[in-house]
Amino acid sequence: MKLWHSFIKELKLAFRGFYIYIEIFMAVLLLVILLFAVPEKFVSKQSEYIHLNLPQMVKESFLQRMEDNDLDGKSELIEIKNDGEVIKVQFFESDTRKIYLVDNKEDVIKLADKKQQLGAIIKLDDSYNLAYEYYLQGYESQRLKNLFSIIHVENSDILQTTLDEQDVRPLSTSYEQLTDRQNILPSVLTFNGSLLGLFLIAGYIFLDKKEGVIKAYAVSAASVWQYLLSKVGVLMLTGIISSLIVVLPIMGLQPNYWALILFLLTTVFLSSTLGLLVASFYEDFLQSFGSIFLILMAMVIPNIAYFIPGWNPFWVKILPSYPMLEGFKEILLKNGDITYVLWLSFGFLAAGIILFLISNKRYKKTLTV
Amino acid sequence: MLKRIWAIFTRDVKVSMRTFISLYILVVPLILAFAINLFTPGINDTTINLALLEADNPEQIAYFKSFAKVELFKDVESVQKRVEARDNIVGILPEGDKHYIMIQGNEPEGVIDYAKLINSLNELDIQVEDTNAEIIEFGKTVPPLKRTLVNGVLLLISILGGMLIAFNIVEEKADRTIRSINVTPTTRNTFILGKSLLGLVLPIFGTIATVFICGFGDVNLLQILLIVSAASLLSLLVGFIQGLSSDDIISAVSIIKLLFLPLFASVLAIELLSAKWQKFFYWSPFYWAYKGNNAVLSQTSTWQQILSYTGIVIVLCGIVYLIAAPRIRKGLE
Repeated sequence: MKLWHSFIKELKLAFRGFYIYIEIFMAVLLLVILLFAVPEKFVSKQSEYIHLNLPQMVKESFLQRMEDNDLDGKSELIEIKNDGEVIKVQFFESDTRKIYLVDNKEDVIKLADKKQQLGAIIKLDDSYNLAYEYYLQGYESQRLKNLFSIIHVENSDILQTTLDEQDVRPLSTSYEQLTDRQNILPSVLTFNGSLLGLFLIAGYIFLDKKEGVIKAYAVSAASVWQYLLSKVGVLMLTGIISSLIVVLPIMGLQPNYWALILFLLTTVFLSSTLGLLVASFYEDFLQSFGSIFLILMAMVIPNIAYFIPGWNPFWVKILPSYPMLEGFKEILLKNGDITYVLWLSFGFLAAGIILFLISNKRYKKTLTV
Repeated sequence: MLKRIWAIFTRDVKVSMRTFISLYILVVPLILAFAINLFTPGINDTTINLALLEADNPEQIAYFKSFAKVELFKDVESVQKRVEARDNIVGILPEGDKHYIMIQGNEPEGVIDYAKLINSLNELDIQVEDTNAEIIEFGKTVPPLKRTLVNGVLLLISILGGMLIAFNIVEEKADRTIRSINVTPTTRNTFILGKSLLGLVLPIFGTIATVFICGFGDVNLLQILLIVSAASLLSLLVGFIQGLSSDDIISAVSIIKLLFLPLFASVLAIELLSAKWQKFFYWSPFYWAYKGNNAVLSQTSTWQQILSYTGIVIVLCGIVYLIAAPRIRKGLE
């Protein structure tokens, strides 16, 4: 009961300040950006500068093939600027590539170098077979270079047939992918929802310390843990409100909202208790700022792994924001793995309780008169 | 006037050093720069991850290793278990004289396409030695991802300067020293300039340090400093407004947090969105700053380009200043 009263009091105080409104404003702003400025699907096309050093007939066959793959079936003559020079090129655009057909080899080399894109010269070797010269930047991985070196060894029709015949066996067909716009949400929920407690709990505690609220607690009937938990409660509620503002209009009724709320509660609990513990080692907010900021920066790293599917080193997976991102993704997916989310929630809650107990012990010593 | 600006600046440095905040803001970019150096080679080396059987033909395993990162497993069940794990890894398993591709079902299209391509090349028995291609390199060693991360850190540094100003002003307000300024010969503009100096010096230091640590020492430093200083203006402005209108650190932090939104939005827009979506982000000074930094870091910048980007950033900051000036004036009264 004391905890409830304490929570209600903290909530009233929070609504009297600016902070909650700023969080809500931020959530609305994020929503507007996601809805109106971020497309459902990102289209990222690789640019290639190509010169065909081929006999006319072979060249025409190449051009025909490129036109067949072009979105509107025909090329355009355009001018591109490079290093103060204007170069006329024939432009083709397919689903995945933008091809600039250049009249001479020197321009291909200059363009590939300055624009930092792929350059290629297609020619005939001594035995009149097709041969390729690729101009790469130098930072490409050896694995990618290996692929470049053999990708055109076989006739492209044969390669395409083999590709089409590949036997791909999914272990489950019930997975539905998120759109590119929806795929950003786990990142938003993690950093704007779950981890918001990390910084703010410290701010709240030091503010109360400065204003003497803590000393007042020492002579009241409420205990320190109730005070700390009521602060965490305010952050949990803020996290839920700001997250729902973004998720509801974008995802509609697809996510499991019970799981979402549970996951938000446990993740905000963990981040707030971590913030509490870190703050307990410092005298004021500014002193604690550096440590909390560094923790937050470390939490950003799994975000890179989230958007680069092939990069998932072990050390990234042990950072709490990694399972947070994965957990939110499962919640948002139509047939997401809710058991995984429940296990994660249990883990975050358990870790949060441990951190809370340690923090409570420390604050009992430092917060009283 | 210069003496007073210097006095305010040195006082801020002393106060900030006492709370270690300046030290943190000095150190954070350095740590981030070292972190970027540490993990970008790994990211750059990434194509896809494959799960194969230990019992598979060693030549096949070696073949797949030439194109992807490979993990080996005892039996099909272990491969299946690994494929079912949360990250994206594709199994390529032998069956008869061919290999089939095992996926979990939720992998991105690009990962599956790459696996199909290397399995097709394997089936066609095309070896690297059969190549009909010559690869010529320009000798650039810095991958685009590293450039993106360094650029992001440079913009983050500019925000940290504003954050420092906001915190310093909130502290001044708590100590009731802002009102005292009004009864000294220090003018409002002198006070603002003095306060801004620390928020400009730290980003300049952070930028130089980050650029050198991350191996971009040969870029046009003057151009990059010009852009970072212009981007810092926005952070300084917001820092001032927030410091003056906030009574506590929480409000100051939350407004500064708002600055991260246009920063991330701008970076994502430039890196991920196609040309037709770019116009939606022209309002963000960070958009232009990021573009400018990108040009400098990739050594393709011209002075005309950098001056126009800097000009746009300054104009956008000027608009923010015009809107915010009454609040700053009122806050200092």
